[in-house]
Amino acid sequence: MHGISITHDVTQLLAQWANGDKRALEDLTPLVYKELRRLAASHLRKERKSHTLQPTALVHEAYLRLVGQNNPRWENRTHFYGVAARLMRQILVEHARRKQAIKRAARTVSLEHALSFHEERGRDLVALDNALTALEKLDPRKCKAIELRYFGGLSMDEVAQALEVSEVTARRDLRMAETWLHREMQSG
Amino acid sequence: MLLDSQRWVQIEELFHRVVECDSTQRSVLLDEACNGDSELRREVEALLSFEACARDHVQAAIQTEIAGFDHSLAAGEVVSHYRILDGLGGGGMGLVYVAEDIKLGRRVALKFLPPESIKDPAALARFEREARAASALEHPNICPIYEFGEHEGQPFLVMQLLEGETLRELLEKRRTNASQSYSREKSGNAAAAPVNQVLDLAIQIADGLRAAHERGIIHRDIKPANIFVTSQGQAKILDFGLAKVASNDMGTTKLSEHHESSNGTVPQTGPSATPDPLLSRTGVAMGTAGYMSPEQARGEQLDIRTDLFSFGLVLYEMATGHRAFVGDTGPVLHAAILSQEPTPARELNPELPIKLGSIIGKALAKNREQRYQNTPEMRTDLEVLMREIAPRNRFRRWMFAAGAIAALLAGSMIFWFVSHVSTSSQRLPNIKLQQLTYNSPENPVRSGVISPDGRYLAYTDTKGIHIKLIRTGEIQNVPLAEGLKDGGTIWDLNGPAWFPDSKRFVVQSHPSSDAPDQQSVLTSSVWVVSILGDPPRKLRDQAIAWDVSPDGLWIAFTTNPGRVERFQGEREIWLMAADGSQAHKLFEGDPNTVVCCPHFFSEEHRLSYIISNGSGDTFVTRALNGGPVTMLFTPSDEKSMGEGTWLRGGKLLYSDPCDGAGIPPDAPCNFWMSRIDVRTGKVIEAPRRLTNWFGFAITGPSASADGKRVAFLETRDLGVSHVADIAMGRTQLVNVRRFMLEESRDDSVKDWTADGKTLIVEHLERDHYQISKQSLDGDMPESVVTGGTGGAERAIISPDGKWIILQVNTSKTDTVPFKTILPVMRVPIAGGTPEPIFTVREGAWIMCARPPSNLCVVAEATEDLKDMTVTAFDPVKGRGSELARFTLDEPPFQGELLSYLSPDGSRLAISRSPRGPIEIHSLRGQQTITIPTTGLDPLGYIKWSADGKGLFVSTHKQGVLEILHLDLRGKATVIWKCNQPWTCSANPSPDGRHLAIREVEQNANIFMMENF
Repeated sequence: MHGISITHDVTQLLAQWANGDKRALEDLTPLVYKELRRLAASHLRKERKSHTLQPTALVHEAYLRLVGQNNPRWENRTHFYGVAARLMRQILVEHARRKQAIKRAARTVSLEHALSFHEERGRDLVALDNALTALEKLDPRKCKAIELRYFGGLSMDEVAQALEVSEVTARRDLRMAETWLHREMQSG
Repeated sequence: MLLDSQRWVQIEELFHRVVECDSTQRSVLLDEACNGDSELRREVEALLSFEACARDHVQAAIQTEIAGFDHSLAAGEVVSHYRILDGLGGGGMGLVYVAEDIKLGRRVALKFLPPESIKDPAALARFEREARAASALEHPNICPIYEFGEHEGQPFLVMQLLEGETLRELLEKRRTNASQSYSREKSGNAAAAPVNQVLDLAIQIADGLRAAHERGIIHRDIKPANIFVTSQGQAKILDFGLAKVASNDMGTTKLSEHHESSNGTVPQTGPSATPDPLLSRTGVAMGTAGYMSPEQARGEQLDIRTDLFSFGLVLYEMATGHRAFVGDTGPVLHAAILSQEPTPARELNPELPIKLGSIIGKALAKNREQRYQNTPEMRTDLEVLMREIAPRNRFRRWMFAAGAIAALLAGSMIFWFVSHVSTSSQRLPNIKLQQLTYNSPENPVRSGVISPDGRYLAYTDTKGIHIKLIRTGEIQNVPLAEGLKDGGTIWDLNGPAWFPDSKRFVVQSHPSSDAPDQQSVLTSSVWVVSILGDPPRKLRDQAIAWDVSPDGLWIAFTTNPGRVERFQGEREIWLMAADGSQAHKLFEGDPNTVVCCPHFFSEEHRLSYIISNGSGDTFVTRALNGGPVTMLFTPSDEKSMGEGTWLRGGKLLYSDPCDGAGIPPDAPCNFWMSRIDVRTGKVIEAPRRLTNWFGFAITGPSASADGKRVAFLETRDLGVSHVADIAMGRTQLVNVRRFMLEESRDDSVKDWTADGKTLIVEHLERDHYQISKQSLDGDMPESVVTGGTGGAERAIISPDGKWIILQVNTSKTDTVPFKTILPVMRVPIAGGTPEPIFTVREGAWIMCARPPSNLCVVAEATEDLKDMTVTAFDPVKGRGSELARFTLDEPPFQGELLSYLSPDGSRLAISRSPRGPIEIHSLRGQQTITIPTTGLDPLGYIKWSADGKGLFVSTHKQGVLEILHLDLRGKATVIWKCNQPWTCSANPSPDGRHLAIREVEQNANIFMMENF
């Protein structure tokens, strides 16, 4: 019962939002966030042996669960992915930050020798997040492009549609954004 | 990079054009498009240089985080019967969590093995077997594994939860700190650990390895990340047996473990294109690969000597701060291990004892036959070296109210004894001494008490309360709630403290927020701690507990029921039952006295305690059921006695009154023993001295019930010398390096030879001192003279360079500054017997000019301390005429006269009071110059710079001692901040190039004495 009502809620909220109701987004965000976290946790437990879990797959699964396959309205989909990709980024960065904080706190320090491997990458993600935040101020569309592509898992033409630009522009946006981010991460 | 949006568009547009054009056209396009706008060009070119792998980079940043994410358990999840509390981190070898064992209620570490490891169940089973075997050793230097489990197909092990850090983390921290510190230590060895610490850890690691090797268990992956150092400094080897599982998951090897030969030799890998499976791993593997033995790299059979090689690498890294073998890629590292000789450890860290260099060298022999053949052999070498350099690394900072009051009260009664005993003719027992704690100066031990059965030491430090099993060295931390540990609460152990069954003890708590002088019984609480690992239980507030009755039923405590009068101390002795109930008053002092330190006598049904009033202490005993008070010592026996403890049969073991911080190296501090009839106060056996120690404080003795073991707190200042280059016209120190003699840390630079290339150094041993010559290039020190006790206050070179002139200290207890008469001796620079030249009053300064002058002078206070005289002397002829006399404004500060002779012998810099000003008096009839020192804090001493154009002075600034350079116009520049406020001296070299600085570190640790 509960599941159905959530699906309904999300669909409705997406529609309201698409119609310009800003409050709908506020209501939508925690629902998506919760679902993404829940999915991440349950997935990860089931697929412990797998290293191939993609954030993008999670977003997609969240979409299927929250909006459902029977709701093919494209506007809903782009809006949903827009929100979910941002949240996915947030979840991953939170996770990376938390791990770093645990490490820094070092009350009871790691018994693990090879820790620095993931530690490094966690740092990378935090650096990427910082760079993205900077990029958003400079060129919000490019930041969005990165989120949709890498955290939301949209294809190039989907990114283009979501950003309401041509696919060539979307590709260029991504290339410029990637390059700039890489540089920013290296220098920061 | 700040960009406006217009610029951003411009950059982007050009960026796309360039990226999308043919690469041969790029520079033309850039030239054209930028048209002299060099900033645009720079921006675009910078971007272009990142373009190629930008996508991979961004993707990698996201993807790998997912890889880490995908194993994580959240807090609160339950795995088997463990509840996850927190993640510790994760990595190539799986993830580690802090968890609670729901069944046993204890906290553990849960470690998931790498997913690959489950691919080979046989390997997993082997690992389990081996890890169990190693764990079954129950050795204090091996981290115990409690259990093996599986969770959703994922194997994990449950280990003891340790507090501390891996050696890898410690070394990395050290490296980071070393690279960040500019001023203190600039030499290449700044990242290395102090030698005694290296040896201490090394011996512990060797102990753990030996225990495993004796059972034929080889670790195969000894490296800093696999050695855990607990916050008490205990080394624990991790992951026995894990290496094999890890190497097996590469799929490049076929392990044939089933054919393990009886001598412990294990065929590690078969022939393969990649003989070292670990090297084929990326990222994670490199760490491990760097600690591999040559035979491991070649894929040969392994034996215990492989562990000893890897151990040698760990030792190398601890001692030098550098890895022996480095390489960016597997093959490079591989080749280095097989064929390169690492840089000799002593080249990287010249402070290392030669012997340590050779131990490392032997461990790192490429050929197994040339290495140590077994672990005990290597351990013995380490231990011998440790003993040579060890017995001096401990100090402490003194405790608060209860302890301090005890010291104060106990502190005044032994002169009567001392004066009746001839100490010189006595033969001292051959005491066996063992260091029980290894706390660093940052975390000094506060107090420690040995259990009646002699098996345990309960001790406290800034982290909390610990129990050490003396035989094995195992340390158990008493679990403390937040706020009660890590400095939030001060814990102290007074008196015997233990229950007779050696299972529980009483301990005091005190809020650390109170200033030391506010700490009193009013904020002190009594707790009881069990050795079974329960948290402490509070028994009573506003009480200080001392002893437990021989039947274990009653705790004697002192308290001050609401009366705060002349002394804030305790007025009454009370008893309470072991659970804190049935508290009742036993004895009460009169209103103007303080009572402390009650102690039960098992045979006598008596209690001893100390009564103190304004004029001194009275040491008494009284029957528990009342009756007359028997006096053992009264205030008229005045003079002092340090802290003591009763042994069986009325034997009293006590120390000289030598507690406290900043104890001078010449102060004797010894244990004494006497026997007293506690009923009558009659002395049965006169005091005899047990030790011949000086230079450190001994306090808080406690004894086992049989009286054979005594634990005590030793607090010691260790001299630490630095040599720095003087730059910027004498106002800046650069290239500061630790200066340390070969086999001792406790050294102090006394003087320089005229050429500025050799230092005169004193180093102190437990019972003697040695004056040596030590060249700056680090050759072996050359001993000039060895003295018995006391040390040399000053050791200076005569202007002609022929003599070292010593101003000797004595070890008399009653040295009074400016009153005691001490000898000045000369000894030929090449060594020989010291001969007396003349005598001076304690607190005098002897000093000599540099050639061509041949003047030496002694500055001395007159007996009434009103004047300071400066008299010439000659190392052969003795005292000459008085050159100058100055009326002092106030008595010399901290026992130092403020006076120094200029290097050319023409002037004296003096100050009549610690507040200055400094006066420059000419000995050749020139005008006196006054250097204002307004704005400067009290002066500690004055030294001339080598060119005679400035002075180095020390000042106390708000509790911090600083060394300043002061030019003759009074311009002051701080050049050094000392690490503590007691001792910090500067010695400029005659060539003006260097400054030697000596300061002290203070450390406090518990020692145990037997066979006394």
